[in-house]
Amino acid sequence: MNQPQWVLLPVIIPLAGAAVGLLLRHQRRVQAYGSLGVILTALAASLFLLGRVYTYGPQVAQLGGWAAPYGISLTADLTAALFVVMAQAVLSTGFIYALGCNDRCSRFPTFYPLFLTLSTGLTGVFLTGDLFNLFVFAELLVISGAALTAISDDPLGLEAAYKYFLISLLASLFLLVAAGSLYVSYGTLNLADLSARIAADPTRPLTGVAAACLVVFFLVKSAVAPFHFWQPDFHTVSPTAVSAMLSSVVVKVGVYGLLRMTTLWFVPFAAELRAFLIVAGLVGVIFGGLTAVGAQHAKRMLAYSTLGQIGFILVGIGWGTPLALTAALVYIINHSLIKSALLMIAGATASRAPVKSAAFSALRGVGKFTPLGGALFLLGGLALAGIPPTNGFISKLTLLRSGLALGDGWTLAGLAAGSLFSLVYVGRAYRNIWWLPAQGEIKPKAGGDRLLAPAVLVTLSLVLGIWAEPFVNLCLQAVAWMLNPAAYIALVLGG
Amino acid sequence: MELLTALAIGLLFAFGLYQFLRRNLIRSAVGLIILSNAINLFLLSTGAYRGLVPAYVGDPLQHSDALPQALVLTAVVISMGGFAFITAMLSGIVHRYRSGDSDDVSQLKG
Repeated sequence: MNQPQWVLLPVIIPLAGAAVGLLLRHQRRVQAYGSLGVILTALAASLFLLGRVYTYGPQVAQLGGWAAPYGISLTADLTAALFVVMAQAVLSTGFIYALGCNDRCSRFPTFYPLFLTLSTGLTGVFLTGDLFNLFVFAELLVISGAALTAISDDPLGLEAAYKYFLISLLASLFLLVAAGSLYVSYGTLNLADLSARIAADPTRPLTGVAAACLVVFFLVKSAVAPFHFWQPDFHTVSPTAVSAMLSSVVVKVGVYGLLRMTTLWFVPFAAELRAFLIVAGLVGVIFGGLTAVGAQHAKRMLAYSTLGQIGFILVGIGWGTPLALTAALVYIINHSLIKSALLMIAGATASRAPVKSAAFSALRGVGKFTPLGGALFLLGGLALAGIPPTNGFISKLTLLRSGLALGDGWTLAGLAAGSLFSLVYVGRAYRNIWWLPAQGEIKPKAGGDRLLAPAVLVTLSLVLGIWAEPFVNLCLQAVAWMLNPAAYIALVLGG
Repeated sequence: MELLTALAIGLLFAFGLYQFLRRNLIRSAVGLIILSNAINLFLLSTGAYRGLVPAYVGDPLQHSDALPQALVLTAVVISMGGFAFITAMLSGIVHRYRSGDSDDVSQLKG
């Protein structure tokens, strides 16, 4: 049973909320708490969408009543619905953090509306079934993210936002080249239609060009090793609430695209793409792990750690067996929860430091004023390194099992080294902030950022670690659907 | 006509890419604008494009494809917004760093 309104709601609610929020810019409290209400409503709508998709199968909405290959369709299968729920859940905690933080920029009249358009763009990218529509939503995402960083309290925010925006615009131009090449070759931009046509005739001269351009676009979005140069700067200086979103859910856009490319859009090229993704992932794991170990700044360390963790996910996608794809999906969702929690704790600790900075030299010994933050950081750090009983252990375990089933020993050795690095850098951060005594007498600032949001996230990651079976089963089913795109294509084109 | 379009797109691409890689921030932003125009022309040429012939007027066998024109329209509007944002950020950067050279505007390290 297909009810299109449920696919539309997760996209429309934040967009409408952003418009209303701009009108309410003079009543700051109403705007802030109203925006929180909007994002929680959007979360409820996406949970409902997930329930409907789980019970009744994929849901499709044809915008404006134009049938599929001609109009724009929004489609939600289990994978897309899971991504949407993940995005809205993490964004909700971002709102909670922003409400309890001392950053001046969170009092700007456009802060919450921009956050809501960020949510719209993110949801839209996951749900869209049209290549050009993907470009539109990705641009919305980029502009909101860059604007949120440009208004950061840190004076260097502008520089980071400029770097990010220029590189992202260039990446979007790659997406446009891909869209043009595919349109001239196959006469359609609907992704389901495109997938059927590419499978029927993969040898058009521009198909390979389009695939390469799309891969570049997604690699830039995910900040995979050679395309990552905007990412650490950008994630270091943006406001904590924003950087927690950017480093967790926003980088998953590219991973989502690569997941779709290998299983739906470019199935005839999947073998080459997968071989490439394993190499890119391994490079990311080693490079990200090593640079994170050497970083001198808590947020920068976490940004480089994202580079490594994305590498683990890419290896999962690259292996491409059902179990490996499940591992990648589990990893994606768990990493979003863990990384946003850790960034929030780092930001909250920095807000208590005498000099507001997340550099280890400024944070040394500050941890003793937030014992709760220390406990949460320890749990989150264990999750990042993959130690039970956290959800990070579950994701590493599924990935390990799929790798053992394939017998890919060299890649597994690389991943083991990467896990070891993550244990080292998390331990190093904990030691610097919470164990070592401060150099000289330091006076903490009274009333730092509240720790409710990271506490919620860490609890969620503990719950998903201890009671993991239903979640892993859900991901298994999502992958089973994803590997059988014929039903999905028939539904989009027929309904 | 096809040769002319192809040459124009290629030249714009080359010129835009060259400008984009310049050290001066303003030049590189202008280069991005030129690049995006080259890509818009490329998008326009992906449909059945017959010069000045409009979509769906007159002989049905002789009209232009409407979809790429709609795509270009959307892309132009989005890139206009993007470039407005870029120029706003550039003006902020030039005020803050007192320089428009990308070597000076790189204080984020570590």
